[in-house]
Amino acid sequence: MDPDRDDAARLRRGDTSGLTGLMGRHQDRLFRYLLRLAGDEAVAEDVFQQTWLQVAERISRYDGARPFGPWLFAVARNLALDHLRRRRSESLEEVDEPAAPAGIESDPLAHAIARERTGRVAAALFALAPLDREVLALRFEEDLALPQLAQTLGVPVPTAKARLYRALARLRERMLAAAPAEGWR
Amino acid sequence: MSGHVTDLLALAAAGALDPAEAARVEAHLRDCAACAGEAAQWRHLAEGLGRMPSPRPSRALVARTVAAVEERLAEHAERAWNRAALGFLVAFAWTLAVVAWLLVDLVRGELALRLGSSMAPTAAWYAAYVIAGWLTAGAAAVLLGRRSHEEGRTV
Repeated sequence: MDPDRDDAARLRRGDTSGLTGLMGRHQDRLFRYLLRLAGDEAVAEDVFQQTWLQVAERISRYDGARPFGPWLFAVARNLALDHLRRRRSESLEEVDEPAAPAGIESDPLAHAIARERTGRVAAALFALAPLDREVLALRFEEDLALPQLAQTLGVPVPTAKARLYRALARLRERMLAAAPAEGWR
Repeated sequence: MSGHVTDLLALAAAGALDPAEAARVEAHLRDCAACAGEAAQWRHLAEGLGRMPSPRPSRALVARTVAAVEERLAEHAERAWNRAALGFLVAFAWTLAVVAWLLVDLVRGELALRLGSSMAPTAAWYAAYVIAGWLTAGAAAVLLGRRSHEEGRTV
């Protein structure tokens, strides 16, 4: 018995109890992933809602023989990247200036307080480009192994491996830039 | 420097090395204090990434999302019903037109025999009646569709 498959079948018939079942099991992971990818709570909330709307509309395209999670994340990822591309003029793989953590105004003091509160790692993570945050979130928070990581990103395994390496290297650079005397531990 | 595995240490901490690479790193770290020290720093960073706070969606967001999906599903169901109803009406109308013509043709033949007169113009009048009926129905459907669209619904 696969609860995801059963709830997807209910949703396909227009029964919204299927939706609440799917949301109950996947909403936390999905929201966390979108927050890491978008770096902005308002954007994450908007894409969260759009994702479930699209899931409901396209549930007939979901193959019940496959796990629901990767399909859900693929829908969310496409929506999030479209949203980010519309908002950003620069590439999703690069960021020129460190961004403040989500919800924090561009105030040096507030940024420093947030950094202390959320930790150096979190602050450095917020400063990364969206695609860097995404690959780190998928590997370290969603605990995806390399093959699953590559599948979620829609790239070959060597490419996923290279992205993971670059994201870690950039994270280390951010931490060193933020506090050179403290190193990157 | 030759032999050092610094390029692999980040991926080692991420658990992303293949078995051959992992074995090479493990063997090197046993003999290289510098790389072992850097490996420990990467592991610490990886542990920090794994302990990030895990935000959850608010109840309001979840409720809003469920309500939005329910509304969208209701719209889809209404559109599907409207399409089915329209398809049934079109099929019914064509069936009725064909059956009516057969009946008219039957009656026309009987009356012509009894009255001894030609009923040829009847066919033209019947064709005109059917065409007028279809044009009227089409105009009504267009007007209904426009009104529904102005009300924010689609048919």
